[in-house]
Amino acid sequence: MAPPKELSLWLQDHLFNAVPMAIAVIDRQFDLIYANDAFERMFGQWQGRKCYHVYKGQNAKCSQCHGAKAFKEGKPAVNEEIGYNKEGRLTRYIKHTVPVTVGNGEIPYLIEMCTDITETEQIRREYQLLFDQVPCSVLIIDKAYRIVKTNERARKMLGDLEGLHCYSGLKGQDTKCKECTARQTFTDGRLHTGHHAWRTKKGQTLHLHVVTVPVRMANGSFDMVMEMAVDVTETLKLQDGLKFAHSFLETIIRTSVDGILAVDADGRVTICNPAARKFFAIRPDETLSNKELAGMLPEDFVKRVTTGPQHIYLPETVIVDAAGCQKPVRLAGHQLSIDERTIGAAFSIQDLSSIKKLEEEKLEAERLAAVGQTVAGLAHGVKNLTTALEGGMYMLSSGIEKGNLDRIQKGMAMLDRNTQRISMFVKAFLSFAKGREIRARLNDPAEIAREVIDMYAPKADELGIQLIFSLPEPIAPAAIDYESMHECLTNLVGNAIDACQVSINGGSWVTLRVHEKRGMIYYEVIDNGCGMDYEVKRKVFTTFFTTKGLGGTGLGLLMTKKIIQEHGGTIKLESQPEKGTTFRICLPRKRLPKVADPEKPQMQ
Amino acid sequence: MAKKILIIEDEPDILTYLTALLEDHGFHAFPIADQMAVADTVAAVQPDLILLDVMMPKRSGVSIYKELRSSPELKAIPVAIISGFSPEGNDMATGFSRMLPDEQIEAPSGFVDKPVDRQALITMARRLTAQPKDLT
Repeated sequence: MAPPKELSLWLQDHLFNAVPMAIAVIDRQFDLIYANDAFERMFGQWQGRKCYHVYKGQNAKCSQCHGAKAFKEGKPAVNEEIGYNKEGRLTRYIKHTVPVTVGNGEIPYLIEMCTDITETEQIRREYQLLFDQVPCSVLIIDKAYRIVKTNERARKMLGDLEGLHCYSGLKGQDTKCKECTARQTFTDGRLHTGHHAWRTKKGQTLHLHVVTVPVRMANGSFDMVMEMAVDVTETLKLQDGLKFAHSFLETIIRTSVDGILAVDADGRVTICNPAARKFFAIRPDETLSNKELAGMLPEDFVKRVTTGPQHIYLPETVIVDAAGCQKPVRLAGHQLSIDERTIGAAFSIQDLSSIKKLEEEKLEAERLAAVGQTVAGLAHGVKNLTTALEGGMYMLSSGIEKGNLDRIQKGMAMLDRNTQRISMFVKAFLSFAKGREIRARLNDPAEIAREVIDMYAPKADELGIQLIFSLPEPIAPAAIDYESMHECLTNLVGNAIDACQVSINGGSWVTLRVHEKRGMIYYEVIDNGCGMDYEVKRKVFTTFFTTKGLGGTGLGLLMTKKIIQEHGGTIKLESQPEKGTTFRICLPRKRLPKVADPEKPQMQ
Repeated sequence: MAKKILIIEDEPDILTYLTALLEDHGFHAFPIADQMAVADTVAAVQPDLILLDVMMPKRSGVSIYKELRSSPELKAIPVAIISGFSPEGNDMATGFSRMLPDEQIEAPSGFVDKPVDRQALITMARRLTAQPKDLT
């Protein structure tokens, strides 16, 4: 049936140029003899050029020439080709070649019709790339639950599964899963999600979050689903780790005997554990404001921790609880930060009340022991004096009895001497027993020592004893009772000089050394005098023990020890007979007494 | 022949007293104030009894006692401790033995507390020197 005439004319005149396909006609010499507008838009100017020149930019025939084949065989052909468009860009196109046969069966021309598929192909490749490289495993499953296609990521992880049933390939099962997201999608055509455990090609178990969607045709129908699976194994592990860490931390905070507190970046109290509540006397139902917290801790502590250094540690300080009571504590503050950003601060508080109490009890026990020893020593001194007095009485009475004047005189002298000793002894003891309250002021520890050395210098010079003052480096002022410490050092240096006097060694010397090491102030009195043996060493501090006969009361070292103890320090001695003696006073700075009220005059 | 008693005591007045007391009761007393060369003196005198004070300067009675007891020539001489030192209550024997913790040294032959009970001292001195009766 022929079309109406006017249509036939239009087709004849315009169809060639109206077709969106590029159409060209070539002759047997491969010259382009005719082409439509679409061809010119795609490949540019064509008049007088060879086909291989126009399509491929070549100056010679293609090695596989589809045109030559069509001229020879006289059959239409379809080929996918790659050439260059008029801008010189690589172009993919489908070429339909149709031979034009004339009456005698000759083929003088070929009609070549090209469809540009560059863009389509580009899109197809991009989709493939997306399919393979999307950061999850993608599987296409058909209605028989066979895996028809997998992406590269799925193949890497799970191996080659195409053709297998999903339940077998992914889980090693013989039958379908009870919970099947693909079936849900096949049933209702909607998106479904689920959790599955799959087996990798290496035999490990992976936990995956799975999404299934229908793969719809243009008409909306579908017979396949796409299953996308994200590996959440690591996430689950991290979640578990996080849960554990959280529970561990929470238990520690809740059960800690130390108070634990935390504030956020705005200073709001976010953690206040039961121990901290107890310390601060806050009821479980009460909240603690940042202002209240700042008022309880030492001044500016919260501010200093959040703005200042990362860590502040106060070994001994005082907090004030909600009821206004002061409590001795050990306090540590730590700045909390993520990277460079401060997110708050944490505080830990240790109760020192019980330790303080123990320390006080220990000091009291030491004091009581010293009192006991003092009484024992006193008894010893009294016994010796009584014996000497009785001796005097005996000499006197037996002298009278015998008419021995010499003996009477000796007895009188003994009575006289020992009565005087009693008087001296009692005075010294009263002064010891009365003592005086330690009143510490900030003093230069070295200054006290220097003054004692200056005091003894003339005496030592007279006796030919070298007196040495050693101060390796200056010492910061410390809370010391000047008079009392002066008395101690006077005692020790005096003893050392006495020890040198009775020594059989020549070239005697006494050194007073003052130095500080790790928060301890040391006074050392070292001599190369007569020294002491074991039993003397045992008794020097604890009784009214004198090695000086009538010249001493035995109270000097006892007094010295008492003063050192009251300064929170210790005194020790090392001595060897005929080698010399070292007395070492150690005053830990943190145990020194509090500085006395400067308004009150120091008692003498 | 009078029995010889060596007295080691640092208080000169007590030394004078004990010397007079013992001489009055027929003993031959040797007062020693120097505590350093005791062993030589003991060896030279060869006393029948030693009265030894404990708390003395330079060298204690305990140290002297150890030396005497460790000398084969001198260890047979009886030693009585005379002291006002009673560290553990009133029991001087216990207190003294505690000062000799490490060595296997036999206890002193007697103890005399200060102030001295004269009759007790003389009785003990006679017993330890085995002197039969009072010569005065």
